[in-house]
Amino acid sequence: MASSHSNTHTEAAKLEQIITEFFYKSLLIILESRSPYVSSRNYSGEQIMSSPSSSTSSSSGVRPRDKWFNLALRECPSALENFDLCRQSNFEPVVIDVILEQKPLDWDPVTFSPKSDLVKHSSSKDKNSFFWNSDQEESGCEAKGEKVIERWFVQHESRKGRDCSSGSRRSSSNNLSALYKKLILLLRSLYVTVRLLPAYKIFRDLNSSGQIRAFKLVPRVFSSVESFTQKDEAEMQRFWFTPVDTSCGRLCLSVLYRSSISDISSESSTPMSPQFIPDYVGSPLTDPLRRFPSLPVSQGSPSSLPFSRRHSWSFDRYKASPPSVSFSPSPTHSESHALVSNPSSRRAPPMSLPPHPPGASLPHKKNTNFDEYWPSPNFSASPSPSPSPSPSPSPPIRIPGVHLSKDLLRSESAPVNIPVRKLAGSPALSCKQNLPPSPPLKISRADISWTDNNMGPMKSGATIEKLYSFGKGDGQKYSGVNSPRISVFRSSSRSIQDDFDDSEFPCPFDVEYDDMDPGSRPESYDRRGNPSDPNEAGLFMNRKSQDAAVGALVRLLKKAPPLRQDIPSSINFSEASRPEMWNNNIQEQNQNKEAVTVERDASSIITSSRLVASMTTADALEELRSYKEMKNLLLSEGGKSCISANLTSGAKHSGKGT
Amino acid sequence: MNCEVCQLKELEVEHFEIREVLRCILHTIVFHRALGLVRPKDVDLELFEITYVQCGDVELEKKIDEKIDHFISWVEKHPNKKSQICLSFYEVKSKQPSWFTNKTERLYWEQWYINLNVTQHPKHHSSKSHHTKLVVDPGESATEERSSRRAMVEASLREVLFQIIKFVNEKKDHVPPISEGVIYFPYEITIPRKFQ
Repeated sequence: MASSHSNTHTEAAKLEQIITEFFYKSLLIILESRSPYVSSRNYSGEQIMSSPSSSTSSSSGVRPRDKWFNLALRECPSALENFDLCRQSNFEPVVIDVILEQKPLDWDPVTFSPKSDLVKHSSSKDKNSFFWNSDQEESGCEAKGEKVIERWFVQHESRKGRDCSSGSRRSSSNNLSALYKKLILLLRSLYVTVRLLPAYKIFRDLNSSGQIRAFKLVPRVFSSVESFTQKDEAEMQRFWFTPVDTSCGRLCLSVLYRSSISDISSESSTPMSPQFIPDYVGSPLTDPLRRFPSLPVSQGSPSSLPFSRRHSWSFDRYKASPPSVSFSPSPTHSESHALVSNPSSRRAPPMSLPPHPPGASLPHKKNTNFDEYWPSPNFSASPSPSPSPSPSPSPPIRIPGVHLSKDLLRSESAPVNIPVRKLAGSPALSCKQNLPPSPPLKISRADISWTDNNMGPMKSGATIEKLYSFGKGDGQKYSGVNSPRISVFRSSSRSIQDDFDDSEFPCPFDVEYDDMDPGSRPESYDRRGNPSDPNEAGLFMNRKSQDAAVGALVRLLKKAPPLRQDIPSSINFSEASRPEMWNNNIQEQNQNKEAVTVERDASSIITSSRLVASMTTADALEELRSYKEMKNLLLSEGGKSCISANLTSGAKHSGKGT
Repeated sequence: MNCEVCQLKELEVEHFEIREVLRCILHTIVFHRALGLVRPKDVDLELFEITYVQCGDVELEKKIDEKIDHFISWVEKHPNKKSQICLSFYEVKSKQPSWFTNKTERLYWEQWYINLNVTQHPKHHSSKSHHTKLVVDPGESATEERSSRRAMVEASLREVLFQIIKFVNEKKDHVPPISEGVIYFPYEITIPRKFQ
């Protein structure tokens, strides 16, 4: 008897636990697909798998609560942590309102940071009700333009006149396993359904698009709510999930949803008050003639270059409001129809967005999800862009806990332009002058001038590295700064170019250069005469980028024979051989003195040439002149001594003859 | 155990839409029948504004893609024909050993029939001859027509998905018990003989 009683108690406890976990899981599924920035969309299965398990579970990365109903989702929102505590019994219904809320006009993206909290709302009619508000800060603000677009009901209806503990013991365990299986099926359906309802599109757009919306989705959890008005209810459709019988009742899940939310979202997207966005990167289309001062004008018109990269200004192409969709899948209706009033509208970013380096993105992915390039990680494969007729610019998107304006730029502006602008604002660098010059090259005639400028680059490089590390720390938003040196350089030359692709960027050169006087480089290039490799020079000169041409020049200069080594070696060779030659030629006369003199001169020249290492071009030219003079002098002296020797030998000869 | 059969609503699709549509439907069904521990993976369709769910199993994804390839090649050989693809779930039962057979038997407990009507791209449907007169700005009307057609297909696909959800909700008793360590029930994807 005691054992049977304990078995019953155990079964009842298990049932209680199953029902509690069902409530939790269903709430989690609904909330994580309706709360922007709190979603499993950004987390691939692999990521979830890699998360450290806090439990003693044997499977990798599976938390105990994940295993319930065999549906592992991402970590629960903090709001759900106290969910169990707030509920008094499993017979207490849970109502989740998904509200489309227009943001207040005085909303400040910089200071706004949403919080998730599960709090008791004592001011409501039902004192036992609680609500979860994703925007704690906004709870005190007067809510404008709120519209409930979905209302979910999760309830365990008790069966009247039947005791939960009754029922044969033999079938109770079977019942529990059958119940558990059915609840698994129900939750699978719920998971799929939440993604098919119209509100999910808004959620996905908010999560994936970098566009600032004037509305947001706010799920709120109640234990009881007022019913909709008849008018509201008439506008909504209901979808019932088949209830699952338990031993003492049945678990019911249903949703009231608006099939057409385009009008609501379009109403909500009223223009925001203008806000100043620091470090805003302008649009090449609006300001095509703007160039970075370091670039020569002859680069060509930016408009002539194909541009398919997404900039902040390109959001002009995207609607401030989501495309209007009238949706009525109507499983409860015999026929359903969906009218897409903006049939060409599609999801987010263009395919030309550069792929993110691993670890920098979003999600997506995932899939490929390339539209997760923006605040939501879906940097993965992105669907085609969603063209929009309305050219209104978008205010910065709200990203919790982050300085939004800058982050907006980093997430929305052209990745190429961002570093330059940042450089412009940075005290250490400016795009005009402080782009880091090349490191010291081998000494050559033309290269001498470079050496003096090499004090700068180390500092600049360090600064860039700091920028890079600073940018890197913010993860995917700084994806455009992944290769900072290159991107900095590119930004000065390719702000208007297409196909910015960090991972595939063929760096024309691996040094930084000083673009202070771009004109000098062509001069020095010309001074050197023909490049060592004409084909290479031609190839580089065909490039669109002036900077690439400069890079080519740098390469050529690097390949040029070193000035310092050439001169002394040539001098060594030539001057050392001359004394020998002269010694050989002038043996009869006392040429040793001159030879010694020449040798001494050569050695002195050698010594002096070694000191030439840090000389400038002018010094080198002077030295060359002096060498020429010496050479002439020596030649003239050698000639004189030959003549005198000849004369002497001639005189002796004539003397002998007589 | 009786075999539950679900005939899904016929979808009129173009050739290039087959893959996405079939992936969406097949994965949705399999997700509902993958009752082992899964980490669901959301997949956004590229052609339609629909997000479906995969159960995250790579092998399963490969097999489904293979079957879809097979189906597409069959469709290419039989153009402009209504086609059907069948997804069946079964249990493996061992037959009573006899002199002749000692094989296992497949007991099908659920079958899903996906009906597709693959159409050609309606380039010339409005004109009798191929050489039509020049139309002023034909691009816009073609785009609009394409868009409205795409919307219709999307709506139909959504209907089919809700049909799956309804079926799964209404019929649960025939689903076999979940085995330990098994993620999804054994299944097979076939093209019914009458369509071959």
